[in-house]
Amino acid sequence: MLTPIRGFAALSGAARVALAVLAAIAIVAAFAPLVAPYDPAAQPDIVGAKNLPPSAQHPFGTDPYSRDVLSRVIYGARLSLAIGFLATMVSLTLGVAYGAVAGYAGGFVDALMMRILDALLAIPRLLLLIAILAAWTRLSVGALVLFLGLTGWFGLSRIVRGQVLALTEAEFITSARALGASRRRILARHLLPNLISPIAVAATLGVAHVIVLEVGLSYLGIGVAQPEASWGNIIHDGSDQVATLWWMSLFPGLLMVLTVMMLNIVGESLRDAYDRR
Amino acid sequence: MTDVKTTTEPLLSIRDLRTYFHMGSVTARSVDGVSFDVGAGETVGIVGESGCGKSVTALSILRLIQPPGRIEPGSVIAFEGKDLVTLGDEEIRNVRGNRISMIFQEPMSALNPVFTVGDQVAEVARIHAGVSRKEAWNRAVEALSLTGIPAPGDRAKQYPHQLSGGMRQRVLIAMALMMKPALVIADEPTTALDVTIQAQILDLLVGLQKQFGTSILMITHDLGVIAETTSRVIVMYAGEIVEQAAVDELFAKPHHPYTEGLMFAMPHIGRDQERLNVIPGTVPAPTAWPVGCRFRERCPYSWDLCEREHPPLYQIGAGHISRCHLAIEPERRNHPHPPLVVQEGAAA
Amino acid sequence: MIDTSAPLLSVRNLKKSFPIKKGVFGRQVGAVQAVNDVSFDVAPGETLGIVGESGGGKTTAGRAILRLIEPTSGSIKFEGRDVCALDTRGLRAIRREMQIIFQDPVSSLNPRMTIGAIIREGLIIHKLAQGAAADARVKQLLEEVGLRKEYATRYPHEFSGGQRQRIGVARALSVEPKLIICDEPVSALDVSVQAQVINLLQDLQRERNLTYMFIAHDLSVVEHIANRVAVMYLGKIVELATSEDLYREPLMPYTQALLSAVPVADPAARKERIILQGDVPSPANPPSGCVFHPRCHHPAKDEACSRIVPPLEEKAPGHLAACIKQPPTIVSWEQQQQAGGVRPPERYLPIAAVH
Repeated sequence: MLTPIRGFAALSGAARVALAVLAAIAIVAAFAPLVAPYDPAAQPDIVGAKNLPPSAQHPFGTDPYSRDVLSRVIYGARLSLAIGFLATMVSLTLGVAYGAVAGYAGGFVDALMMRILDALLAIPRLLLLIAILAAWTRLSVGALVLFLGLTGWFGLSRIVRGQVLALTEAEFITSARALGASRRRILARHLLPNLISPIAVAATLGVAHVIVLEVGLSYLGIGVAQPEASWGNIIHDGSDQVATLWWMSLFPGLLMVLTVMMLNIVGESLRDAYDRR
Repeated sequence: MTDVKTTTEPLLSIRDLRTYFHMGSVTARSVDGVSFDVGAGETVGIVGESGCGKSVTALSILRLIQPPGRIEPGSVIAFEGKDLVTLGDEEIRNVRGNRISMIFQEPMSALNPVFTVGDQVAEVARIHAGVSRKEAWNRAVEALSLTGIPAPGDRAKQYPHQLSGGMRQRVLIAMALMMKPALVIADEPTTALDVTIQAQILDLLVGLQKQFGTSILMITHDLGVIAETTSRVIVMYAGEIVEQAAVDELFAKPHHPYTEGLMFAMPHIGRDQERLNVIPGTVPAPTAWPVGCRFRERCPYSWDLCEREHPPLYQIGAGHISRCHLAIEPERRNHPHPPLVVQEGAAA
Repeated sequence: MIDTSAPLLSVRNLKKSFPIKKGVFGRQVGAVQAVNDVSFDVAPGETLGIVGESGGGKTTAGRAILRLIEPTSGSIKFEGRDVCALDTRGLRAIRREMQIIFQDPVSSLNPRMTIGAIIREGLIIHKLAQGAAADARVKQLLEEVGLRKEYATRYPHEFSGGQRQRIGVARALSVEPKLIICDEPVSALDVSVQAQVINLLQDLQRERNLTYMFIAHDLSVVEHIANRVAVMYLGKIVELATSEDLYREPLMPYTQALLSAVPVADPAARKERIILQGDVPSPANPPSGCVFHPRCHHPAKDEACSRIVPPLEEKAPGHLAACIKQPPTIVSWEQQQQAGGVRPPERYLPIAAVH
């Protein structure tokens, strides 16, 4: 059993710590203008203040344009987390809708929808994204979110369809039908509430995956465009001098790893709690 | 079959077996001080409802208890001159499937879906007899034919999902009997089967037992299966033995109120009853067995002594023991009262 | 009180076949006849038991009657109304009067709803009570099935199997049905708990004059609770009689074997038993003629049994069986001989089948 509130109670100790870490990162990101010591786009002294190693004044150093890396990482968190979250929302909506329709309709519709999905799943997501993003130069963040979301729902819809199929076999659904419940009532009262747990797991792991993807794409220079800061494009900015400008890849990299690890811990723990019920 | 075999040295002798599950702050005392013997060639039944500890007893004999479960120190399982509790890992593996084998309830999950059934039966011989692949296969086909599987040579090449439930159970029996073990533990061997298939399998087990003289420990919740296959019966409740007797004696003169309750709670074909007798309430949790008599709250005879004193196993007759204070105050049986648990169903 | 003047439920020639599908787009390659031409009546206030082994079609028949699965053909009349002809609205209305209790006490309750919400659902769907009135009704129902009214706020996982089964009963009762189809309601329960639930069902039947269709594989439970019993084998009813007649004088050889296979909890009564050969054949490919003939032990069994489909016919008043070798039969000896019969029908009732 896993109602949202008792769901957190069921989380392991490690997962609660992870959740606290994530909350801290999210709060810092949300209040970036208050927390960041500098304007992330400001280039105060492109000659004198560029490529400074970490110091008391610039704890994460500065980049080749003399911008403060700490401030850029904080603003980057904002963008990277937002992209991860929003893109997952897009894929969640598509995946749940597609999977639920296929599973609930059954028969030929289901078979057809699943074969289409098989075809989509055969295309590697990263290659697909690189192709799309390379074709559109200077894409807005909104479009990036859309493309990340549009390519991220295939696996999720399979999970949802499987769950729907298993649930329609469950006798409490049959019982609701025997009581005279309408299709809409069965969907809203019996199917969806039982889908929340597996969807929550998939979504948590999905956010982590999208964050890594965004960092990868921005690192390749086809993700978030300058002057916006994202963890990926900060690393990109320092990528041609990794050995000397080590702070430029280390700090955003560490943050990404930390965030993804925490998300995975929460996801795994949610899954365990869900399996246990 | 009424005589309780009292050979000088029983094949299996369990003394004060305690298997506890340590889960953080609580301990589930699933098997709590069980002692009994199984003689050579004897069929002993253990009967009880879910949660009484009968399956954990079976798993403990083969040391198949997984953490957080543990056989507590001081428990003794003497078998063929060895104490299975203290045996090394290597040695206990030599006992499993070789001298003592086990038949499980769910034949589908007890078989590996990716190997043919012939391979799985043959593997037993490969492990314990160290014979060649070819020889093991031949023995497997022979064992399968013993269990009455038609065309065993062809069936051996099939996978578990290609067989019916009854056929799968025959395969498990073939595996169990492969090494001609001294003892077979059958844990609800027919519970998952339809009644006509159950009849086939019980018939087969009894026949093979006669043929090979194997001892059988039959674990079941079904008193019918007990009556038809065993010579001596152990009734378990709340982790303990509450009654033990020869099968005829037990059914004719059940002593413990729990045994009595079980017998009357079952509908019998041909017996006219308006209402079924009910044991109110449910088996208590193994983490908190009641003090005194563990059946007290569900019992129609209990009195203050039952709360004060945990009853010992009283001797009732020859080979008949019962964990009930009625042994010393038998006249109380004539004055039943409503049990203490005011529980679901009591009022309805 | 059984009223035999007009049946509450009348089922005629009910059939349900499931397609066997293969390939990427699920091409149909065959069909499983789960229920094959089944007819029976249930009188108001009576309990009709349906027994048989897995694959017999008992559960499918029960669900087809409620149209929880659509019957392939046949007619189902409930109080004279044709259930098969009802539209969605009509079906929802009639489901108030026909309810079902399930076998599995775990999967039959929605894990995300409180007990109160589960029991209240029927009241809301059929607009029987709202608000405080519904709350009061839920509490009353809980007490009627022997549970505490405080349980309304708890979740299913907090209850034992027997308690969950009681919750299922309360849910079915909430809409005040006339007929309840009990689909193996006690087979997942321990013996002592089983007795509690059986007694509850019987008490409720007496108090509310309910009609039950009681589906079970346990023959002793069915004998205890049913007035009449239908035996199903491979989708067909092979015998139908009052409980007393069926258990005293089983005529269909399959019923005989089934009864003889039940282990008797009395070591003094050890007896001969009929051990059937082989497994139940696949319902996708049932034997020709009499579906039981490959496993049959009737001494007069012959070629005719594999050619002639035996009609379910009256062998004694109110005692129907499908066997052309058990006299009397409308399939004449001449017809049987033409179909390759060599042994004339003879009455056969082995002692092993009688309890």
